[in-house]
Amino acid sequence: MKAYLTKSPVIETERLTLRAPRIGDYPAWEAFYASDRAAFIGGPGGPGPAWRALCHAAGMWVFLGFGSFVFCRRDDETPLGMTGPWYPADWPERELGWTVWAAEVEGTGLAFEAACAARDYAFGTLNWSTAVSYIDPANARSVALAKRMGATLDYDAARPLSDGKPAPLVYRHPRPEGL
Amino acid sequence: MAPEIPVIETKRLRLRAPELRDFAPYAAFRASDRSQYIGGPNTRIQAWTMFTSLIGQWVLRGHGRWVIADRKTDDALGTVGLFHPDGWPEPELAWSVFEDAEGRGIAYEAAQTARRYVYDVLKWTRLVSMIGGENARSEALARRLGCAPAGTFEFPSFGEMTVWLHPFPAADDVRLVWDSGRQVYDTAVEKGAAR
Repeated sequence: MKAYLTKSPVIETERLTLRAPRIGDYPAWEAFYASDRAAFIGGPGGPGPAWRALCHAAGMWVFLGFGSFVFCRRDDETPLGMTGPWYPADWPERELGWTVWAAEVEGTGLAFEAACAARDYAFGTLNWSTAVSYIDPANARSVALAKRMGATLDYDAARPLSDGKPAPLVYRHPRPEGL
Repeated sequence: MAPEIPVIETKRLRLRAPELRDFAPYAAFRASDRSQYIGGPNTRIQAWTMFTSLIGQWVLRGHGRWVIADRKTDDALGTVGLFHPDGWPEPELAWSVFEDAEGRGIAYEAAQTARRYVYDVLKWTRLVSMIGGENARSEALARRLGCAPAGTFEFPSFGEMTVWLHPFPAADDVRLVWDSGRQVYDTAVEKGAAR
């Protein structure tokens, strides 16, 4: 069996391009991972863990045939964040995740636009029947995004083992209309 | 970028892309003291990130590490290949062997083969391996591969490592042949033997 490395889709929205991670994303990712903005996803961390984490995101596409998208403005290749399918080993079910790397994105609705496009992809193209987002209870911005997307708390859903961190909230996404 | 991860076979081994079924033996290795010189022991969640990142580096850089598989059973015995995190001074040839593969010369055969790929296919003329801590087994393998210490390198989360410089050209007698479109390396042991 051969592992193909370059088969991943590109999604365009009104303002954004979504695509699999690339090497050129690393400086922006490293800066994000070293900042307090990464506190809810295992950071802040140095270059070793940061490199491994971006490789993880890139490698998931090959192992599973799906993964998360880096999003940029359509006319600017600066990576702004990452969103989409997330399904590591031992995860109770398939997740939709997001990270917003650049503070300037806050308040623009771009993360919402990107996450909705990734969700459409998961339900529409990957044919997922359901999806959750695991969110640290203290991550108010992420909770707000999940709610804006129409996701609701699922108190009965299984939660991933969290390596000693607080148990996450489980937000379950509605199936997008028309899909 | 190469669109796929090459498969390389030797007499006993197959170097191939990591696959999901390799995660169980990889996680067991990462949970054991055998990973103490490379950031372990690790939880399963940490091991998954490390395992997935094996293939992620191929995606991002076009080169990376293979799973060392038993050529007959295809079971994973370890990993070998190029490791190149951002901030590393240069790519290194890295190797790890799982417990069951210890003491059979498997790491030596795999490292020789991966080195031959680096020299013959990638056309590099310089190669190093970084070895941290008091990792006597890994240092012994480096010496057996003809490497010599050539400095130290310190990296956050890895600490201080010795930089071992590989000989170029390598004295080992490994050659490239083609077999059904696969890159196949014969080791010195089997050179001249009928395939």
